Amino acid sequence: MASNEEGSIGTSLHGVTAREQVFSFSVDSSSQTLQSDDPTAKFALPVDSQHRAKVFKPLSFAKPHMRAFHLGWISFFTCFISTFAAAPLVPIIRDNLDLTKTDVGNAGVASVSGAIFSRLAMGAVCDLLGARYGTAFSLMLTAPTVFSMSFVTGPVGYLAVRFMIGFCLATFVSCQYWTSVMFNGKIIGLVNGCAGGWGDMGGGVTQLLMPMVFQVIRLAGTTPVMAWRIAFFIPGFLQVVVGVLVLTLGQDLPDGNLSTLQKSGQVSKDKFSKVFWFAVKNYRTWILFVLYGFSMGIELTINNVISGYFFDRFNLELQTAGIVAASFGMANFFARPFGGYASDLAARLFGMRGRLWILWIFQTVGALFCIWLGRASSLPIAILAMMLFSVGTQAACGALFGVAPFVSRRSLGLISGLTGAGGNFGSGLTQLLFFSTSRFSTADGLSLMGAMAVLCTVPVAFIHFPQWGSMFLRPSSDGERSKEEYYYSSEWTEEEKRQGLHEGSIKFAENSRSERSRKVALADFPTPETGTPTHV
Amino acid sequence: MAVQTFLFASLIIFSSSIESNHGATEVSLFTNLENSLEVTATRVGVVLEAGKDMVRITWMLKSSAKVDDDAAFKTVEVKLCYAPISQVDRPWRKTHNELSRDRSCPHKIVSKPYDNIPQSLNWTIDRETPTGTYFVRVYGIGVNGQEVAYGQSSDAEKTTNLFSVEGISGGHTSLDIASICFSVFSFGSLLVFLVKEKRKAKLQQRK
Repeated sequence: MASNEEGSIGTSLHGVTAREQVFSFSVDSSSQTLQSDDPTAKFALPVDSQHRAKVFKPLSFAKPHMRAFHLGWISFFTCFISTFAAAPLVPIIRDNLDLTKTDVGNAGVASVSGAIFSRLAMGAVCDLLGARYGTAFSLMLTAPTVFSMSFVTGPVGYLAVRFMIGFCLATFVSCQYWTSVMFNGKIIGLVNGCAGGWGDMGGGVTQLLMPMVFQVIRLAGTTPVMAWRIAFFIPGFLQVVVGVLVLTLGQDLPDGNLSTLQKSGQVSKDKFSKVFWFAVKNYRTWILFVLYGFSMGIELTINNVISGYFFDRFNLELQTAGIVAASFGMANFFARPFGGYASDLAARLFGMRGRLWILWIFQTVGALFCIWLGRASSLPIAILAMMLFSVGTQAACGALFGVAPFVSRRSLGLISGLTGAGGNFGSGLTQLLFFSTSRFSTADGLSLMGAMAVLCTVPVAFIHFPQWGSMFLRPSSDGERSKEEYYYSSEWTEEEKRQGLHEGSIKFAENSRSERSRKVALADFPTPETGTPTHV
Repeated sequence: MAVQTFLFASLIIFSSSIESNHGATEVSLFTNLENSLEVTATRVGVVLEAGKDMVRITWMLKSSAKVDDDAAFKTVEVKLCYAPISQVDRPWRKTHNELSRDRSCPHKIVSKPYDNIPQSLNWTIDRETPTGTYFVRVYGIGVNGQEVAYGQSSDAEKTTNLFSVEGISGGHTSLDIASICFSVFSFGSLLVFLVKEKRKAKLQQRK
């Protein structure tokens, strides 16, 4: 009777009596109106009990799931272009503004530091206002800072503007949040991997785009020092256009926009203090913070330093250095989705334990190739090392976001935010330590950064889920604690559980049974009565 | 994945062909050059503006220089070089003994044939010259295209007779105005959407 088909094991009887309250992360409109027989019929893709899509069709633009996916990754892509737009033009900018290596390095640190705070704030904004507004704020409030590059005259202004532009990297959080509420847990690794990867590609595309735009503007007759300032209008303008598209075409949740659903009583608001507390209290959040700091973190650092590295060390032309640097970021197109897919595949075979192993393997291998990149003294070897490094690190980023959605249900947004902030923190730290002083050559800085990343990936062994286990430990054998429901409902106080506020988490827990390894899932299929004791 | 493998392979092959070619059989070193030229660079004013101000450069063979066949040269290359103060914490301007790897004299002023008589030039500082402190160096180019002799307007430690150049800023009023207009548009459209949606939600609620 029971099969591994998603949604059939332990299917709750939610929504049948139409008397249950529904909450932020699970909207069931059928509980409000008994008119439609099948509320899922209006969706273009097959959906689960929370109306999240069960299938991923990247070539479709269907409302609301695929549209949210495309708007999400494009927003994030545009922000990456803006944040790293200065990097390939640094050889021109450093002469125009009379910058030293320290100035350039510090501005690089600043460009990723602003996002530490904005990513945290974005987690809360998404939980409370919805992903659409989060994305639009990020895009349209930072566009003026991109335009203000035209006013910069020295190192201080340059640093300040790069710092402010960097705030827009918060779109990462809103993008991942948006896909997490739109897509089912079984495919979330792949979906988040694609969204994140295609967005991160912006860091590579900008290395190609900005020198090209610069060249075109120069051909129109301006001096180099004016041309690079004009070039910044392109990413700024893109941000505004995409922001408008997000607001007009996007939708917060599968069933509608958050404010409309909240006002009509279908979705209830959660308390920020609670959301924050449960995110911060969970030690796994902080391990992910460090891990992401040394996968995405080093990727962001490379986006800032690699073009200049190839320009200076191998004497390449500006455009050629840009092409080489771009191939690092462009590998994201398949590398990060591949990481997410590998994570999902490992989960199907080994459950959450597989996801954790895949994460460790990819991240460590990537870091080892980073060490090799710093040692390489001939151009072809350097490029080979760089490509292998990019695939390993970017796949690790994808694999990490195969794990993150399961750490918490109540504080999903904030955890995405904290993890994302960790990425920026890692980038700021590595740039500060290895690339802002004349103490290390850039080549040595790269190798040292790789070595630090290998060390900081070890903590993944300590992530343990009582219901699923960890890299080296089995799941808990305790009857109570080995249930997904126990883990997810422990984020709610007894009082809140009495009010039934945790029912969204229970639904999620049922859908997350896919994270058990194949053997365990077949051996244990709880009946609906024991699976959801407090309802019905 | 086949496409990606192909692109990856072509990138490696491509990179082997673009690597800069140090094809010269003999490496030209700065320390091997004869300091046989006397160079002066005089300016009017303390800080010179790129594109506007002028420097008068003169060069001639030193009377003390003994010119043999190896050190004979028919062309001179006059270059603008960074003084040490402009090289501090800027590894992309580093001085290197191997002349093909030296990055301290990137700006070429002029290249002229030389015929043993003193030459001079009134050079208007190129508009694209960046802000910095400079001196002038003249290389004598031998028959095989490599440097054989040099002279510079400063001393051996590059501390005397330096001049500062103020580069152009690149900013312009039209850019500033465009920047402000686009920014206002960005804020404005966000505000318009917020207001519209709040109204729509209120209407829904009334229903």
